[in-house]
Amino acid sequence: MKFRTRLLIAFGVVVMVPLLVFGLGIRTAMSRRVAAEYEERINLLVGVIRADLVREEDRISARLRAVKDRMVADNRLRSAVLRGDDRAYILDYAGDAMRLAGLDFLQIQNGDRRVVSSGHFRNEFDRFGAFATPGGVTLIRAATAEGPFLVIARPDTVHVAGQVFDLVGGIAADSAYLARLASDPDFGVALHVPSDSTSAASSDSAAQVVVPLPYVNAVDEPNRIQLAQIVVSHNSGLLAALLQNINLWFGVAILVAALAALLLASWLSTRISAPVEARIAIGDLARQVNHDVKNGLAPLRNVFRHLIQVARDTPAELPQVFAERQGTVESSITYLETLAANYAKLSPQSERKATDVNAVVRETIGASGAVRTKLAEGLPPVSADALVLRRVIENLVSNALDSLDGKAGTVTVTTEGGKGVVRIAVRDTGRGMSKAELDRAFNDFYTTKAGGTGLGLSIVRRLVLDSNGSLDVETEPGKGSMFVVEIPVQ
Amino acid sequence: MYRSFMPAQHLTLLTVLAFVAACAHPRGTATGAGGAGGAGGGGGAAPQAADESCLLSTGTVSGRAPTITIGLTDAVDPRHAPIARNDAERIVFGQLYETPVRIDCDGHVRPELAAQWEKSDGGRRWTFHLRDGAQFWDGAPVSAQDVVFGKGGVGYTLGAPDSRTVALTFTKDKDDVPPFMGDPNLAVTKPAPDSSWPIGTGAYWATSATTTAQEVRAHTTHGDTLVFKLATSGDARDLIDAGVDLLVTRDRALRDYAATLQNRAVVALPWDRTYVFVTAEGSGARFDEAGLEQAVRADARRADGSTWWGDLRACGTAAGPPSTPAATTQRRILYARADPTARELAGRLAALTHAVAAGRAPDDFAAALTTGKEWGYVVALPRVPADPCRAGNDFLPVWPASITALVDTRPTAIVRRGVARWSVDLDGTVHLAP
Repeated sequence: MKFRTRLLIAFGVVVMVPLLVFGLGIRTAMSRRVAAEYEERINLLVGVIRADLVREEDRISARLRAVKDRMVADNRLRSAVLRGDDRAYILDYAGDAMRLAGLDFLQIQNGDRRVVSSGHFRNEFDRFGAFATPGGVTLIRAATAEGPFLVIARPDTVHVAGQVFDLVGGIAADSAYLARLASDPDFGVALHVPSDSTSAASSDSAAQVVVPLPYVNAVDEPNRIQLAQIVVSHNSGLLAALLQNINLWFGVAILVAALAALLLASWLSTRISAPVEARIAIGDLARQVNHDVKNGLAPLRNVFRHLIQVARDTPAELPQVFAERQGTVESSITYLETLAANYAKLSPQSERKATDVNAVVRETIGASGAVRTKLAEGLPPVSADALVLRRVIENLVSNALDSLDGKAGTVTVTTEGGKGVVRIAVRDTGRGMSKAELDRAFNDFYTTKAGGTGLGLSIVRRLVLDSNGSLDVETEPGKGSMFVVEIPVQ
Repeated sequence: MYRSFMPAQHLTLLTVLAFVAACAHPRGTATGAGGAGGAGGGGGAAPQAADESCLLSTGTVSGRAPTITIGLTDAVDPRHAPIARNDAERIVFGQLYETPVRIDCDGHVRPELAAQWEKSDGGRRWTFHLRDGAQFWDGAPVSAQDVVFGKGGVGYTLGAPDSRTVALTFTKDKDDVPPFMGDPNLAVTKPAPDSSWPIGTGAYWATSATTTAQEVRAHTTHGDTLVFKLATSGDARDLIDAGVDLLVTRDRALRDYAATLQNRAVVALPWDRTYVFVTAEGSGARFDEAGLEQAVRADARRADGSTWWGDLRACGTAAGPPSTPAATTQRRILYARADPTARELAGRLAALTHAVAAGRAPDDFAAALTTGKEWGYVVALPRVPADPCRAGNDFLPVWPASITALVDTRPTAIVRRGVARWSVDLDGTVHLAP
């Protein structure tokens, strides 16, 4: 793993871990806050429902009082009660009174709690009536011909013609009533009774508060008082949607932050690693120079020691031996000169100015028949040192020719305009490179040629980068390579 | 103020007396004539007093007005003619269409399309002679073939020996003119090419041109008019206030309102309908102390025990397969939604049995009764059907059912005094009397 990669990972960890911890903390805090707010609103709604029940009780009481007053003042009713000769009038009485009083449920019961007249179900007469607990409202499951329904009712008493009648009146606790209690769509109100339930809320609830109510099933168990519940809950689906939203935006924030962190880490690692890598490269270079110079000096030292030995032992043979070893000396010197020239190329001094790429290409290729050119007309001048550009092209063309290995093939140099750049491509039909070779092609001192220094492509890359350009390679073993240099226009 | 008609047990007594009277006549050649026939006498005496006894007591009438108005509280559909499906259609169709004979409120046979009849072969063969000049509204003469075409029933056959004679042949001896000869199913009609009203033979005629959403006008060739006004406002009291001459209702509130008016006579009509509870449960049901007559707002009494449906085996109706009740724990009692009395009775039975009542449109109710999948049904039956076999076929299921009589009900006629004379048939239909 490269130093830059390790540095990048370290930066990523340092930036991402605090960011994740911070984001998760915010998310948890928001969830708790939202849940707490919902609970607070549920408690408020429960308070409203309790107050509403008290108001309904007052309203029902007032309406029952109106019914009582009417019953007491009704002479025909009094006569029917006394003489029992107008049963139909009594049977219809509760229905008329119930509708006029605005009630949904009304029973007039005798002392045995049998129904004398029923408003919501006329033909319920002589049946056991509903029982409502005094001093509050009672939830009653009342009968009709078509089936039972729930009412919130309270009792009262009236004296007519010396007889005591119990009145039980109320309003329907239907879905409309529950919907009115839970006007906020985030909340649901449901009635849970021992044998049935009428609900306006989703069962998918996250939190709920219960309001108990006395309950009488007047259809099946008119004498038994049980407990029903008004259950107030908030819809967990809404909270889940909110959390999902938070998660989504949290994820987006993490992604954006991670991207920014990666860019920052990349920039920082580049800034930090560049000098280090440079020092490493210099060290490598120094070692290589040391090794190369030693390689060049060793034959010279050997020749020189041989000559000293000959001069000391057999001076007469010295000219002959010198002549024999002269080639070795000259070869070593040539090697060292070449080495020096190559090392000198590692630190070119460039001067950027408007440069005509086609002119440089023509000048570099000259009249060489081995290289084909395909140059686009009307290219804008680039910002580069003409000498640097020439060295780049020279190196690439030289490598391309070398890759032909003396076999038949072509080397083509093309130029073309791009978006803000001029593109120079050097294509050959030579041996190409494997992936491993390509990975190391731009390393200093890596070469596949006999006698090569391994600095050509490394120098090319540095020269191109110094010119603010870019260098790409496409290659395939056995089919050739294409080096593409892009230099920004002036 | 209310005139009560004879209870059924009295009617039976009258029938027996008439039968005894008939026995005084020579058998085999008894002859009846217009205004003289009796249900209890094959051609026996049918005194004019009996006809008078079926007149509604509505005061002295010096002369009939050329235009008579009748109020209707139900819709009238000409496509149902001549078989009425509600009280309104019964009144309208009764004025427009004729049966061979008419059975008055006392059970006496009165001539209508048939002016005379006689029996022979010991009562196995009855011959009816059409009245002279009988014709359809379009002027075509009425033939005996028009009377018998497509008609017939269990235990008898109808034939037309000649164009003026209808022959009725029984498998057993009959001493009396059978009541089914006055059944609306034997009313004589023929299709009208340009009217939704079938062409009848009565004195009054109506066509699509004389029918609107508000009223039906029926005319005679002499210029008399019957106007049937519909209660389009939804409040039948408006019809009374508008001055209709006759209105038949089962609404107690309407009856009570009319009783407060000076120039109106309120007359209770015969008990004409019996409500029964039909169930597939073998033990049936008893509701002796149920207060059923109080449960309904119509004029009702506890059913008097007339159970013509008790033995319909003679009708040869094939019993259907046993019913298969729906697999549900909640017992349901079905009723026809348009019938308030049936609804009230179903509600009362539901209160007594912890079942639930459920209303159905008339056609749906009939279909549900056929299947027998519900626990019980409240069914309205004619109290004294002209043809029990036909009534059983029309109103009762074929599956083995337990039938419990609940209540009898009757309508009330609200009549403007001094305008016209009205008579009542055995089935409760009110007619304009001559």
